[in-house]
Amino acid sequence: MRRASIGARLADAGVLVGLIVFAVWSIAPMVWLVLSSLLPQLSLIAQPPQIGLTNWTLSNYLAVFGSAAALGQGIINSFVVASFTTAVALGLGAPAAYALARLSVPKSGAVVLLILATQMLPAIAVAIPLFVIISRLGLIDTRLSLIIVYLSFNLPIVIWILRGFFLGIPLGLERAAAVDGAGLIRTFWLIVLPISVPPLCAAAVFAFIESWNEFFFALILTRQNAQTVPLVISAFAGQYQTVFGQMMAAAVISIAPVIVLAILFRNHIVRGFADGMLKG
Amino acid sequence: MAQVELANITKSYGPVTVCHDVTLSIAAGEFVTLLGSSGCGKTTTLNMIAGLDDPTSGEIRMGGRRVNELSPVQRDVAMVFQNYALYPHMTVGENIGFTLRLRGMKKTAIRARTEVVAASLELSHVIDRLPAQLSGGQQQRVAIGRALVREPRVFLFDEPFSNLDASLRMRMRAEVKELHQRLGVTSIFVTHDQEEAMSISDRIAVMHRGRVEQVGTPEEIYASPATRYVATFIGSPQIDLFGAVIEREGNEICCCAGSARIPLPPGAVPDIAQGTAVEVGIRAEHVMLSDNGIPARVRLVQPVGPSTHVTLDWECGTLVARLNGFARIETGTQTHFTLDADHLLLFDREQGHRISTH
Repeated sequence: MRRASIGARLADAGVLVGLIVFAVWSIAPMVWLVLSSLLPQLSLIAQPPQIGLTNWTLSNYLAVFGSAAALGQGIINSFVVASFTTAVALGLGAPAAYALARLSVPKSGAVVLLILATQMLPAIAVAIPLFVIISRLGLIDTRLSLIIVYLSFNLPIVIWILRGFFLGIPLGLERAAAVDGAGLIRTFWLIVLPISVPPLCAAAVFAFIESWNEFFFALILTRQNAQTVPLVISAFAGQYQTVFGQMMAAAVISIAPVIVLAILFRNHIVRGFADGMLKG
Repeated sequence: MAQVELANITKSYGPVTVCHDVTLSIAAGEFVTLLGSSGCGKTTTLNMIAGLDDPTSGEIRMGGRRVNELSPVQRDVAMVFQNYALYPHMTVGENIGFTLRLRGMKKTAIRARTEVVAASLELSHVIDRLPAQLSGGQQQRVAIGRALVREPRVFLFDEPFSNLDASLRMRMRAEVKELHQRLGVTSIFVTHDQEEAMSISDRIAVMHRGRVEQVGTPEEIYASPATRYVATFIGSPQIDLFGAVIEREGNEICCCAGSARIPLPPGAVPDIAQGTAVEVGIRAEHVMLSDNGIPARVRLVQPVGPSTHVTLDWECGTLVARLNGFARIETGTQTHFTLDADHLLLFDREQGHRISTH
């Protein structure tokens, strides 16, 4: 008995240490980001960096807000692109996932695997063809081009997450709805969707963050008008000098909405991912 | 209420056939239970009656009309599911009224009707709660309420009490039976609990491996089981079986097991040949302890309140005798027993069907 309890305590301690290491590993870059944004350039590049409280300043933030109108436009662009991508990905992905989970779709197993396989293509492999297609369509430097491209890689993930959840819904609920008089669409709309809020939130936050943070395709497909936040931030790295403090301040401003989103929906996100991913 | 007929219903999933040629006629207003162990095809049969599954072949008729192609709503059936299947995001009232909402009924009318149903099931005080905030019994009543509000032609129950504890199960059983007596709606009930089936049904259809083994009143099923399977499935304690051989001496027919010789009543097994090997079934209440008779040893004594079950070891195996009240008898005692020959059930040893006439 005693041995088992010591073993159990050791195991608990091990888990705790592991979680602490993981938390520090995850949070440290964020802390460093925020800290850097509060330091003047000289303190930041000093060896070692002077991170004392007396050095803290909001000058980077004031400079970013004052000089970079591009950041405001970038945030608007990112917000529009990420919101539309998320909305359309959920609007198309949820019915598709439900169909794959519940209807007798021929070769549905292969379809699901194919959907997942699209995630295995490296971005660089499709970059040139995509650029050609988007420029032929006359959509270079438009938000629409980004929405189209982001949809193509967010939609499969959304379908994957939601399908896993839909598979886990007790069949009895849908049968009860059928006996109550609901057809397929009303069952989906009135029963399945309302009880799927956690995975819908998880999928939405995932799609939003992916679109918000995306850099590579934004770099290729935009010039000036449709530049998103990551591109604007990267512009702080100039040819002769990188203004680290302002870059970090811009980064903090740009990740704020995403963090707020994640905090607001954290319960749904955790439940959604747990249900959706495990049952896939 | 409507008559329900199943004519030669077969259901296959690929190479696996789960229902074989099921034929059953249920009169309007009757309460019939499909009884069988898990995997016997009873729920599949119910789902086909509901319109949730399509039969591979055969015809389902309601009120004399073929309904194979109709949806559950068009069939006008209501169903109570095993796990209640309450919509977790809707309140009790919304759950009960959902079907009316789908029919486009006005909100005030839905509310009024829902309240009447909730009151009849003693759910008025929880009408605005979510299912997760209810006890098991209340959830069960909401599921029944959802079926009741429709005023359907046929009620279907798919093992509705299997998640309830014993005392609640007994209460819900009584409630459903009273409900049926009050409304008189044709009801089809699925269960694996033979006691539940006996206590609630007008007739029982015992299913085994996708086939209907016997259809009859609870008394018929219990006292005159058509097959060895039905005999062993129904009754608690389980019927005891032992091998025996028929001996004829003039007009007298005897059933011989080991050194025991049990004369059968006249006409019990007409036309049976001398030396036929049979299997004999006897229920515990027809085994009597006596001062003389077949010798046995008391192996186990189990008082269950109104009676005591006494397990006896004898020459051909074991038998259980049911004695009234708390019997004063010691384990290990040597005793004798007799069998009530009028209630011996004789089964064909190979095929398992009953060959005795009573």
